[in-house]
Amino acid sequence: MKDYEVIIGLETHIQLNTVTKIFCSCKADSWEDEPNTNICPVCSGLPGVLPVLNEEAVRKGAALAAAMHAEINPESRFDRKNYFYPDLPKGYQITQFDQPIGKGGCLDLKMPDGQTRHVRIHKLHLEEDAGKTKIEHGTRLVDFNRCGVPLVEMVTEPDLRSGDEAAQYLIQLRQLLRWIGVSEADMERGHLRCDANVSIRKRGSEVLNTKTEIKNVNSIDAVRQAIGEEAKRQVELVESGGTVKSYTLDWDADRGKLTMMRSKESEADYRYFREPDLLPVVLSEEKIEAIRAGLPELPMVRRERFEREYGLSAYDAEILTGERSLSEYFEAAVKCFGGGEKSISNWMINDLTRLMNDLDKTAAELILTPAFLAEIIRLVEEGKINAATGKNLLRKVEESGRDPVEIVEAEGLAVIADSGALRTQIEAILAGAPDEVANFKAGKESLLGWFVGQVMRATGGKADPKLTREILLELLKN
Amino acid sequence: MKLASISAFEIAKKVRGGELKASQVTQEALAQIRKVDGIPGSLLPYQVSAEEERKVHAFIQVTEEMALAQAKKVDEAVANGEDPGMLAGVPISIKDIFCVEGTTTTAASRFLENFEAPYTATSVQKLIDAGGVILGKVNLDEFTFGSSTESSAYQPSTNNPWNTEHVPGGSSGGSAASVAAEETALSLGTDTGGSIRQPAAFCGVVGLKPTYGRISRLGLIAFSSSLDCPGPISRDVRDAALMLQAMAGQDPKDSTSSVRPVGNYLQALEQDVRGLRIGLSPDYEAVYYPDLETGEIHREPIQKEVHDAVLRAAEVLAKAGAEIVENVPMPNTRYGIPVYFVVSRIEAASNLHRFDGVKYGYRTKSEVRNLEELYRRTRAEGFGPEPKLRILMGMYLSAAGYSSDYYQHALKVRAMIRRDFDRVFDPIGEFSLDAMLTPTTAATAFKRKDVFGDSLLMQYSDQMTVASNHAGVPAVTIPAGLDDGGLPIGIQLIGNDFCEDMILRIGRAFEQKTQDDAWRKVRPQALGGEVQA
Repeated sequence: MKDYEVIIGLETHIQLNTVTKIFCSCKADSWEDEPNTNICPVCSGLPGVLPVLNEEAVRKGAALAAAMHAEINPESRFDRKNYFYPDLPKGYQITQFDQPIGKGGCLDLKMPDGQTRHVRIHKLHLEEDAGKTKIEHGTRLVDFNRCGVPLVEMVTEPDLRSGDEAAQYLIQLRQLLRWIGVSEADMERGHLRCDANVSIRKRGSEVLNTKTEIKNVNSIDAVRQAIGEEAKRQVELVESGGTVKSYTLDWDADRGKLTMMRSKESEADYRYFREPDLLPVVLSEEKIEAIRAGLPELPMVRRERFEREYGLSAYDAEILTGERSLSEYFEAAVKCFGGGEKSISNWMINDLTRLMNDLDKTAAELILTPAFLAEIIRLVEEGKINAATGKNLLRKVEESGRDPVEIVEAEGLAVIADSGALRTQIEAILAGAPDEVANFKAGKESLLGWFVGQVMRATGGKADPKLTREILLELLKN
Repeated sequence: MKLASISAFEIAKKVRGGELKASQVTQEALAQIRKVDGIPGSLLPYQVSAEEERKVHAFIQVTEEMALAQAKKVDEAVANGEDPGMLAGVPISIKDIFCVEGTTTTAASRFLENFEAPYTATSVQKLIDAGGVILGKVNLDEFTFGSSTESSAYQPSTNNPWNTEHVPGGSSGGSAASVAAEETALSLGTDTGGSIRQPAAFCGVVGLKPTYGRISRLGLIAFSSSLDCPGPISRDVRDAALMLQAMAGQDPKDSTSSVRPVGNYLQALEQDVRGLRIGLSPDYEAVYYPDLETGEIHREPIQKEVHDAVLRAAEVLAKAGAEIVENVPMPNTRYGIPVYFVVSRIEAASNLHRFDGVKYGYRTKSEVRNLEELYRRTRAEGFGPEPKLRILMGMYLSAAGYSSDYYQHALKVRAMIRRDFDRVFDPIGEFSLDAMLTPTTAATAFKRKDVFGDSLLMQYSDQMTVASNHAGVPAVTIPAGLDDGGLPIGIQLIGNDFCEDMILRIGRAFEQKTQDDAWRKVRPQALGGEVQA
């Protein structure tokens, strides 16, 4: 295996999150809708109908091209890809062939070992989705709901070298799609679909050998596993004197197995030609500029800036830029706090993300605003409340939406920093534990921690720890 | 029948003025259909009686109930003092390639025998909204693929009202015949390579192919999407202008429809032709076609009477003050048909993909073992020979490896054809023409069965018309006399982009200057006229 290099290219289909379909005004997303409830004469291919291009799909496709560092073509065109299949009601798919919306592009993968893999984009174009068919009780059924859903097809050059890299590509692509807001990129719902082309070659060789195509690798794990399996199969085949044939393989995620679907020796002829029902898509320089300007700072750039500007560790910066709203939350909190980036980062990574997971919310959806978080951290750092109270406050603020200061006051959560009041309580505790006092005085000073615990229990954790310690020592040493 | 022989303009004027009831016009039109049309085209076997041979057979489907309901609405609007629209009460037939809710839309194919569209074509809807009364759907070549209406799956196919032994032309043969036979005042046709103008010329009526994009294509079952144009067929130029006025304009549901504002076509007719520059081209004096064996190009001069009619029209217009510019070169006209073979077949093959027996229309009744067999049998049984020929040719021409030889090349030649027009219409160019005057067809209507079966020869009957489809420019055919056999001759005026007003204005001038010509008094056979020996 180690004598061989695995060559991988990924073909992804990305469902754009527009409200309506690409060529008609039907709702774009039909997840959980009954079959054929979300269709019209246009997307179900009745005679006489014509497509009308959804400009939002163009804008989102162009935004993705920009985010992938691709050139945006000022004039792109649609073509017909002709073939017969029951899920394709017009008998052709409207797609972009030789004048697509994007040209070139790349994505730099940050591998966990610190290496970077530069992946070039071979193809980036807009197209419409087809429907779905299934066989039930011997009858073939067709659902057109998905027909006309806007897709971007994006194909990489054969630049990936392992299942891990392929998985990382999907992870970063998914992050990017959500980051720039063009797709929900939910692989389970088919918003991001992936086919993998796999071939092998002897290390040091420059040739591209016959590849196989694995269909339906629709999760990050599936990509990693399926490519691993296929590379292993090819190596074993070649080692035992066989040759790799151009197959299409299907990945069965449940059984973790590849099965052959068909030979790809005779490639279908799609008879591409210009779609005469649509005008060329013309994007003016200003429009392209506006699309570029409308892009947020991209994840990799922000990640590096966080390390540089806030002195965060690579690990922390990666987590905080894992999702756009989380990174924005962080910066907003830093701003409200007027610094404090290290502790804000810690609070967010340790506590806030747990809260988000529990509630299944993104940072943007939290009621606990960055300003509230900054306030809580300030209360802790100024010793007004202790850390445990602070952590409990996160949930209380999220649930009530009230200002943390207000909650602290209303519920009396502030640290008991009044030495008189605290001294009275401590005196009572000492009076109730004569044996321990005696032992302490006899030299068992490790009991101090036990006394602190007793005080905390009695005060509901509100006692100022430093002050408690001082008073305890004063009283015990006398 | 008196009412249907008057113009759409007059009918609308009288209905709007309360002088005439739309219902009455409709009833009379329906009576005329009953009188002259004969049995409707159908998929059923039919008896060829001598009497039926002399009928027009324009209609596949008469929508009597719908028509009477529409007429009633118009009458109510007039009674209530509301505006019933510019086509109030005007009877209209629709080429059965347009989807109209409440009718079956067959495209003259077995494939769509029972197809009922759940929506109405924009052009048809605009006619209805303007107060037009839809009498029914008229016959055509199957999926508009032909120039004689004989390829319709719905037989008997339409006869030429001037001589029922001759074809009405096509593919809008039912449309042209229904107007010529005074069954209806107007008809909506489509023109991809000449399918409005050639039958209009053959039937002695006016047919206008507007600029590509002037009238919405939504609801028109596509033949060749980059060439298809809906357009009016009428008995005079003013009616064509009126019908165009009702239908022209941008449609948000057709991306290729133009956003250009619509002119006032009726008003344009009031201007004369003084000072207008009208071109004659030697490239419209002959038909050029390749020898199938040698590939050598043959030149065949057009019918003399047709050529004479063009020259006579030029004289009439010159006398009216127009300037006739001779020897205008249109050198790429001769490539119109070869280019059309490539472009239209490729688009047609793709447009017909959707007819697969899965969703609607014909599906084979025989047992099939798999999906592929369902497709094969359905399409083999559902399509007639002409669609099959076009599908085969289109698939061949667009196949990988051939496409660059044929399709890409054809697109280049198409651009050259376009340049011919750009050059002659260039306002600061050498010619700065306002219109071209040409024959509409190389010859008058041919006999039934004479050409049918020879797909190539049939196609060449569009040589005078197809160039303007490639270029996208508007063109209108106008009756200009009868040949020795008593068959109508059409002359064609071709204008610059969106200059329908210009060609209609010239056409109207010609029509008025020749109003008293003897040939205008001759009546078609179907209306009781004598057939000349």
